[in-house]
Amino acid sequence: MTDRRFLLLCAGEVLVVAVGNLAAALILQVIVLGAFLDDRRGYWAFIPAAALFAAVIAASGTILLPLLALAAALGCGYLALTLQDYRLTLWAGGEA
Amino acid sequence: MIRPTRTTGGVAALALALTAVAILIDNPAAALAAGSLAIFLFWRAWRFSRDFQTLAASLAIEREVDRTIIRQGTEVHVRVKVDLAVPPGMEVRVRDIPPAVAVGDAPPSLPRKTVAYTIRLMAPGKTAFGGVALEASDAYFSHNLVIRRPTTPSLRVFPVGTAETSGKKEAGVRDGEVDRRSTLEGPSVRGFRLYQVGDGPGRIDWKLSARRGTLYVRELTGLEAGAPLVAVDIPTREGSDPEVFARYSMVVCDAVEGAIESRVGCSLLVIAGGEILRFLPWTHDVRKALSTLGGLAPVEPRAPLYRAPGPAILAARARLPGREEGGEGTYIARLGGVLAAFAAESTSPFAVTVGKALDRVEASELHLYTLLNQGDTSHLLQVAHQAKIRGMQVVLLAPPGSPVAIPGVDAVEVI
Repeated sequence: MTDRRFLLLCAGEVLVVAVGNLAAALILQVIVLGAFLDDRRGYWAFIPAAALFAAVIAASGTILLPLLALAAALGCGYLALTLQDYRLTLWAGGEA
Repeated sequence: MIRPTRTTGGVAALALALTAVAILIDNPAAALAAGSLAIFLFWRAWRFSRDFQTLAASLAIEREVDRTIIRQGTEVHVRVKVDLAVPPGMEVRVRDIPPAVAVGDAPPSLPRKTVAYTIRLMAPGKTAFGGVALEASDAYFSHNLVIRRPTTPSLRVFPVGTAETSGKKEAGVRDGEVDRRSTLEGPSVRGFRLYQVGDGPGRIDWKLSARRGTLYVRELTGLEAGAPLVAVDIPTREGSDPEVFARYSMVVCDAVEGAIESRVGCSLLVIAGGEILRFLPWTHDVRKALSTLGGLAPVEPRAPLYRAPGPAILAARARLPGREEGGEGTYIARLGGVLAAFAAESTSPFAVTVGKALDRVEASELHLYTLLNQGDTSHLLQVAHQAKIRGMQVVLLAPPGSPVAIPGVDAVEVI
C-alpha cells in the first residue's frame, strides 16, 4: 500500500467519525475499507462482524465495554490463529 | 508465526488513535471505526493464514541431482522445480534447503521456475536434503515456513583417503578433489547429526553449529571407511526363489557399482558352498566387475563343508560349555579338549584359498552378501573367520529375519 492510499484511508476514517450516526458510519466504513482493498475475496466475512460490533455499541450505550469485549474476542482469535500456525509448523516438520 | 507488514502497523496505529479519540470525546462512530479496523486486520490475518495453509499443502517438488553416490568434497549439481498453487494477491518465494553437511546454498526462486545450483558435501555418510523454505507475503502479512519434506533424493557420500591404501593410481576422480591421507591417525568424520542430551561436548562441531544455528555433533567413521572386498555367496538351487535371486543379484550389482564409483575400486569374491567360483582382485572397471557377476545362478551343492569344518568351527565347538554336571558334562568338556587340540592342526582348503585371496586384496572391510537360505553356513563362518584373523571389519548383508548368526560379524545390514 502506498502512503497516499494510507492517507486516503485516514481521511475516510475522519469522514466516518464525522458522520455521527452509527448506521451511516457502518455503511461508510464498509465502503471505505472496500475501496481500500485490491482483492475483495472473502470480504463478506468482515461485513457481518463489523455490523455485529456496531449493534453491540448501539445496544450497550457505552463505548468502553464493547471495545473491551472486542479486544477479548480478538485476543481469543489471535490464540486460535497461533494454534493453527503451530499445527502447520508441526506438519511441515514432519511431526503431524 | 505470521508477521505484520508496514501496512498492518499503519492500520493498527490508526485503530489505536481512533480508540483514543472515541474514549476522549465519547464518540460511538469513532469506536465503531476503531473496532472495525481491528476486525478488518483480524479478517486479513485469518484469510492469509488459510491461504498459506492451502499454499503449503499444494507444494510439489521435482529435485534432481547429477549423481547420488559421491565422494566427499565433490560437486553435486542440483536442479529443483517447486510447484505451488499460489492464491491471488500473494507473493511467494521458495528456496531449496541443501543437506546439513553441504557447503553452498540454493538461491530463492519463484514457483514453477527451475533453479540450478551446486553444493559440495563435506562429510561422508548418508544424507538427505533439508526440504524447502517457503516465504509468502501479501499487503498485510508475511510468513516463513520450512517444510521438511520431501527430502529425496538421499545422497551417499564416501570418504576420501582410501586411494593410497590400494597403492594404485587414483582413477575417476573429478572436480579437482584432493585425496590425501590425514596426518593424524584415528577415526574420521562420517557425518553429522543434531546434538542430543548426553552427547559429549568434545563431539560438537562448532563450525557447523554456528553456521546452522543449532548444535550438531560429529559421527565418527565406523565401518564406513576402508576399501571393501565384496564376497557374494551364491545360494543352492534347492528352495531358491528365482525372483528373490534376481533381486539379490541386483542388490549385489548395485553395491559393486556404488563401491567402484565412490571409492577407487573394489575386489570381488564369488563363493558357493565350499567352492570359490570367481575372484576378481582390485578393479576400477565397472564393466569388468559386472561381467564377473554376470551369468550367476543358484548352484547344486557340490562341496558342503559341514564334514570339514576347519579351524574356526572346531575352535568354536571346543568352547562349548558343559551344560550339565555328571557324565554328559564331563563328555562335552573332554570333547572340547580334543577339538581344541585338533583345531590348530585342522586345515580346510577352502579357508586357505579364501585366506590367500584376502591377503592379495589387502582390503579393510569384507562385505559378505548372502541369502542365508541354506542349512550349511560353515563356508560363511570360515570366510568371516579368515577376515577377522586379518583384522578386517566384517559386514553381513542378508535379507531381513535371517535366523543364522555368523560369529565374527561386526555389523549386519538388511538387503
